[in-house]
Amino acid sequence: METATAHATHHEHVHGHEEHHHEETFLTKYIFSQDHKMISKQFLITGIFWGIVGGLLSILFRLQLGWPNETFPFLETFLGKWAEGGKISQEFYYALVTMHGTILVFFVLTGGLSGTFANLLIPYQVGSRDMASPFINMLSYWFFLGAGVVMFFSFFIQTGPASGGWTAYPPINGLRDTSVNLGSGLGFDLWILGMTLFIISALLGGLNYIATVLNMRTKGMNMFRLPLTIWALMFTAVIGVLSFPALLAGCVLLEFDRLLDTSFYLNNIIINGNLLGYKGGSPILFQHLFWFLGHPEVYIIILPAMGLVSEVLSTQSRKPIFGYKAMIFSILAILVLSFIVWAHHMFVTGLNPNLGAVFTLFTLLIAIPSAIKVFNWIGTVWKGKVRLVTPALFAIGFVSMFITGGLTGIILGNSAIDIQLHDTMFVVAHFHIVMGVSAFFGMFAGVYHWFPRLYGRYMNETLGQIHFYITLIGAYAIFFPMHFMTGLPRRYYTYANFETFNNFNFLAEFISIAAIIVFAGQLIFVVNFFYSIFKGRKVAAEKTVDGHDYANPWGTTTLEWTSPIERLHGNWPGDIPTVHRWPYDYSVNGREFIPQDEPLKPGEVPHE
Amino acid sequence: MIAFLTFATVVLLFVVLVLIARASELTADLKNGKVDFTNQSKWNGYFLLAFLVFMLVGSAMCFKILMPVMVPKAASIHGVNTDYLFNVTMIIILIVFVLTHIALFWFAYRYNESHGHEAYFYPHNNTLEVIWTVIPAIVLTVLIAMGMYEWMRIFNPDARDKNMMVIEATGKQFNWMLRYSGKDGKFGERIIDQAHVSPTNELGINWEDPKSHDDFMADKLYLVKNKPVLMKLGAQDVLHSFFLPHFRVKMDCVPGIPTEFYFVPTMTTVEMQQYLSTQPWWQTINPETGQPRWQTFKYELACAELCGKSHYGMQRDVVVVEQKEYDEWFAKQTAIYTPPVTEVPVAVDTTTKEEPKKPTAMLEKK
Repeated sequence: METATAHATHHEHVHGHEEHHHEETFLTKYIFSQDHKMISKQFLITGIFWGIVGGLLSILFRLQLGWPNETFPFLETFLGKWAEGGKISQEFYYALVTMHGTILVFFVLTGGLSGTFANLLIPYQVGSRDMASPFINMLSYWFFLGAGVVMFFSFFIQTGPASGGWTAYPPINGLRDTSVNLGSGLGFDLWILGMTLFIISALLGGLNYIATVLNMRTKGMNMFRLPLTIWALMFTAVIGVLSFPALLAGCVLLEFDRLLDTSFYLNNIIINGNLLGYKGGSPILFQHLFWFLGHPEVYIIILPAMGLVSEVLSTQSRKPIFGYKAMIFSILAILVLSFIVWAHHMFVTGLNPNLGAVFTLFTLLIAIPSAIKVFNWIGTVWKGKVRLVTPALFAIGFVSMFITGGLTGIILGNSAIDIQLHDTMFVVAHFHIVMGVSAFFGMFAGVYHWFPRLYGRYMNETLGQIHFYITLIGAYAIFFPMHFMTGLPRRYYTYANFETFNNFNFLAEFISIAAIIVFAGQLIFVVNFFYSIFKGRKVAAEKTVDGHDYANPWGTTTLEWTSPIERLHGNWPGDIPTVHRWPYDYSVNGREFIPQDEPLKPGEVPHE
Repeated sequence: MIAFLTFATVVLLFVVLVLIARASELTADLKNGKVDFTNQSKWNGYFLLAFLVFMLVGSAMCFKILMPVMVPKAASIHGVNTDYLFNVTMIIILIVFVLTHIALFWFAYRYNESHGHEAYFYPHNNTLEVIWTVIPAIVLTVLIAMGMYEWMRIFNPDARDKNMMVIEATGKQFNWMLRYSGKDGKFGERIIDQAHVSPTNELGINWEDPKSHDDFMADKLYLVKNKPVLMKLGAQDVLHSFFLPHFRVKMDCVPGIPTEFYFVPTMTTVEMQQYLSTQPWWQTINPETGQPRWQTFKYELACAELCGKSHYGMQRDVVVVEQKEYDEWFAKQTAIYTPPVTEVPVAVDTTTKEEPKKPTAMLEKK
């Protein structure tokens, strides 16, 4: 094998270079680990935990939405006063939807997704022994875990967790008075504390990712030789670093209003005819600060998934990604535009109509780079030699979901049409497909594809494919018909009070059944994941150099498989490989793939 | 017992999954230590193709079954226009949806490894990139232009009819307060301070302003067909959102910041019922009422911004009538203002002027 010789030459001049043999205790190896691969696993498993919790919450409120007139006595057994007589209380319903959103947006699809794959792939694929600062990287995880502990704790307090919506809008969340909203008491204080810790984690992680990509690339790895995963993860980190501080500032001021009776967001609040003392604030100001993060946030979620899918599709199609540079520049365009579209969440807040028009313009413009990416993915599959294994299936599913969800964004982004659709189930259907389900598909593609890199074993293929089809069909069954509930306001406990909205009960029931099946389908993934960690098929060694086993399970060009199957601290036992070519030399020069660290043949022109 | 059975089922399912996993590992096609996925690729190619068919048929069925159940056609001038815009956009995206999905799943089927071909090294094509940048850009430009034009028309204060009705709607937990300006056509002034706002005067109406004396609160939102109306919107405690689904009207109600929405209703409630009585789905019997659905049809006002535990209950009926019927209803409404008790003649030595007492009208009607 050509790669074998390449490695052999590397190892010749590193024989004196013994590995570092730290005394690794359980505590330093698994708990206070500074190794990027272990931190990646920590993020992933914590993310899976949160995924189960967030999904379970949605099942609980789907029970209420699907069968608003039924009671489920077992709920009282588990939830006590929150489900007296087996019926979820109004207060708890709103707590469920609020925490479902918070958990899935931040703890699963931001922390779980970026945290896992930025940590795993950045050092491996740029050719670095670890992150720029392994210690800060460890802190990033611990703040993430701390944020989660605080959020989880809020479920067990008397007044329950935050229940004023994951968007945390004041005044409902700006008043600590639990008679206004039960979850706005201690529950929301904990929400703010949890989010503050989360933002610290995201910033520590993000700065580290950017620093690593910019400064710690191996020899020969210029920017245009980076795989698209790395471009996507770096741009994600840039968006996060620029936008999360706005949310932090917004949340701190909100807590001032709550605890210190300041009036940043509150003005002329009248509760039951009693005028409170707040003067001069603006609830709309908070929405600007929130969505200044909140909109880029959806790109923080979707860009890593896009990066993973680009890489998986190209590898499994045995064909270079179509339009590598177009892909990079379209991510860049999305990055820039993502900062100037936030007010499309606020079209009907009474903002200046001229501003609405400007935000319509930018919002619809963002469809162009998104379209370019979709066409390039389809172009990548075209005339490939596609290995339809689980990661490839999920990548294709991602493209499908992203198309479906993205297209309805063109409707919603148009302010005149949004008047009717704003805050209705159409929006719920749109964003669940385009950033919820899509991002999950991207994440699953990534987990199945890089599981061998994380654990040295494969995930089970049969269970993976069953999981894929249940999720694909089920997710469409949930969210496609939901678009037709146009005009039904979201966040309704029941539609029974309205003649207008009460016609879709049969559909709500159908959706709830589909949701339960899809949730059960995800448990197949969880079983597969933990089963495969211990019992999965091992990655077989293809060659052994200096006592280290090497393999390249998917035949990838990128650097992660130039490292031994075993996850070594420092990644490479010898020198870090040197990069000689771009990452997408698939099916070229009569070879199925040419790894990035393979030197050019005499006369060979590199693809630039 | 049920708990035990559930537990047993879960354990059993877990065991089944592990067995499937084990069995599939044992039967995998191994070549040189690597699994040969060609056969699986073949089957997944067929599955994806089947899914494509399933999805296209399913989408078509959704349109067929669910479209008739949707909120019916717009009953306002701008609503008709935004619905048109919605439909145009929907047709365009449906075309893209179908074509891209056919391409995606067909390619996945046609070019999977089971066909025994080699992949084609084809890293980029700038002409193609330009084509699929420019075409979406043109289409989007048209949609943006149409949308902006309509949007600016809806919110253009200069285009408003000077004879419009003005109605004030204020959201609070968990109700709407609907104030009409009475015979003088002018609202009494509201002053938001401790002296004016009280549990009996939640809106802080200044009773010393004579314009306030004929203002009345309505239990239903009465509108006149073809008569423009400006909704003056506000909120007491938290955010609410004034949503009239049939008129395509939605505007947030923000404590401390006034907002408004101008629109023209074009169909009376009766006319809408008559229209719906011609629609097959609306002719079906509603099992809850035992009547055809169109008979119980009514326009409604809802809250569209999460405002607390009873957010879903902020319902008010909306009635659109002809001018004559409106006038009859209008004449029957009673003002909220109750005049202060006037000086009693028996009293001796009333040189100091008596302060007018604050009226104790209920602002809210149920």
